[in-house]
Amino acid sequence: MILYLVKRLAVLLASTVVAAVAVFAFMALLPGDPAEIALGVNATPEAVADLRHRFGTDRPPAVQFLDWFGGLVQGDFGTSYVTSAPIGPQISDRLGVTAVLVLGGMAVALVLAVPLGTFAAVHHRDPLGAAISAASQVGIAVPAFLAGILLVFVFAVQAQVLPSGGYVPIADDPGEWLRGLLLPWLSLGLVQGAVLTRYVRSAVLDVMREDYLRTARAKGRGRTGALWRHGLRNASVPVVTVLGLQLATLLIGAVVVERVFVIPGLGDLLLNGVAGRDLLLVQGVVMVLVAAVLLINFVVDVTYHLLDPRLR
Amino acid sequence: MLTVEGLHVRADAVELVHDVSFTIAPGERVGLIGESGSGKSLTALSLMGLLPEGVTASGRARLGERDLVGVPESRVKDLRGRALSMVFQEPMTALNPLMRVGAQVAEVMTLHGRPRHEARERAVELLERVRLPEPGQIARAYPHQLSGGQRQRVMLAIALANGPELLICDEPTTALDVTVQKQMLDLIAEVAPALLFITHDLAVIASMCERVLVMYGGRVVESGPLRDVFTRPRHRYTQGLLAASRLTPRGTRLPTIAGSVPPAGRFPSGCVFRNRCPHATPACETTPALTGDGHAHACWHPAD
Repeated sequence: MILYLVKRLAVLLASTVVAAVAVFAFMALLPGDPAEIALGVNATPEAVADLRHRFGTDRPPAVQFLDWFGGLVQGDFGTSYVTSAPIGPQISDRLGVTAVLVLGGMAVALVLAVPLGTFAAVHHRDPLGAAISAASQVGIAVPAFLAGILLVFVFAVQAQVLPSGGYVPIADDPGEWLRGLLLPWLSLGLVQGAVLTRYVRSAVLDVMREDYLRTARAKGRGRTGALWRHGLRNASVPVVTVLGLQLATLLIGAVVVERVFVIPGLGDLLLNGVAGRDLLLVQGVVMVLVAAVLLINFVVDVTYHLLDPRLR
Repeated sequence: MLTVEGLHVRADAVELVHDVSFTIAPGERVGLIGESGSGKSLTALSLMGLLPEGVTASGRARLGERDLVGVPESRVKDLRGRALSMVFQEPMTALNPLMRVGAQVAEVMTLHGRPRHEARERAVELLERVRLPEPGQIARAYPHQLSGGQRQRVMLAIALANGPELLICDEPTTALDVTVQKQMLDLIAEVAPALLFITHDLAVIASMCERVLVMYGGRVVESGPLRDVFTRPRHRYTQGLLAASRLTPRGTRLPTIAGSVPPAGRFPSGCVFRNRCPHATPACETTPALTGDGHAHACWHPAD
């Protein structure tokens, strides 16, 4: 297990470096010179060259990369070419907001999907089980931002019980913080929950047909007891894979949902950076998102090993 | 001790097992022979209350004074693993892959009220009893670390854990290597309290059982002491089955039973074997009853 962890950690680090090279390369390949953007179309070539020198963008790409990556390792994302503000603190401020948004959405999805999916599997011959199946199918077809707009319409515009957007830091007012996040969590979680329900249902259905559940019943357990004691952990193995993929999807979904609900998260920062042509900011945010996805995969792989002794 | 009277098993409109009756006395070892699709496994599963979804049993089956068929799950499940246990055909998938072997053996004891620490100790003793080497180490292993033969021994340990009155074995050695089969059979013969042994392998039955039931098309077509049935089969199906399993001199054709087993629900009316039977006459359109004391058969034209 320790050896596996060390190996897997090495893979994580190596893939992060590769990802950093890729992110840097893509940004470098984009047309547009930060110095020209900063000075506008009427700038003299001398002024542009001077600014390039100050930005450091006149150096060879390899040197620029090492400089940027060396900073990343120490938590320094560089200084924005556009606003002259350091990028690191902006990202770390917003990373927390996005993390809360994504994890909350995931929690909503899990709370919905595990009981509903299991119920739908156990009662797959009954109308209620089929109804859950059908409802989850509809849920899958709805994009998160549309779910968000519908939720705003119902709860904020019609019923007026929740704010339609905005974000209050938890330190200022925990109650308002929670109220502000409920709709975003729901709009992310409902859709992912619908997808997850189907996976949970099919995983539990597969497990219900396994011989070891019959063995458990031959020992004297009832259907439910056998499923509870021997089925759910086995069913969780394929579900964990999907969970990892979904977390990555949620991270991307959060970019859009943050826009809908005016939440100052990473997605919001990314879109601002794009709109303001703040290349270094975009580069930093994308790098953080990529690293987050790599980290999620790492956690999924390790969880796998903890769950299934056959992999050890 | 086990009394089965008029057992029927149905899946919707299709009758899979028809009017099966037999008894097993304490300590007796009874074999149930038949081809795939003859209803032998369903008969066993209905005694355990483990029929697949959508399949139901009716009739009467009693273990001692306790009913096994037609009673709510909550009543039967208490008997399973305690008074009555079963070893299945496929050892590779019968154990939970995520749980240590010792815990899976201990579980059947804690379920029926034994304290946890005691069950753990006894699990290791049971693994030793089914002749697994290094039982302490095996108890800590996961199923995938064991061979098929070892896993089947674990299943046997689970089945024996609470000292059942009857052990049901459904083709317990079919999935094992030939070299391991013999050891497994000897072990079952040694430890089984009373045994219902299901197989399609006549040689295995001959070495294990005192009495046999021959099933075909969901019915018992012949039953009696092993020696009588094997040396003087009366039903034409049993006769064909024995002929097909006998060693034949080199160069002669292997005797077979003509045709193949029809799918469930497609057996002929009357005698279920008549479409494959060389002796069938119009009389066979009427269902023959299972008649005869001791050595019974259900055939209008029995062999002498």
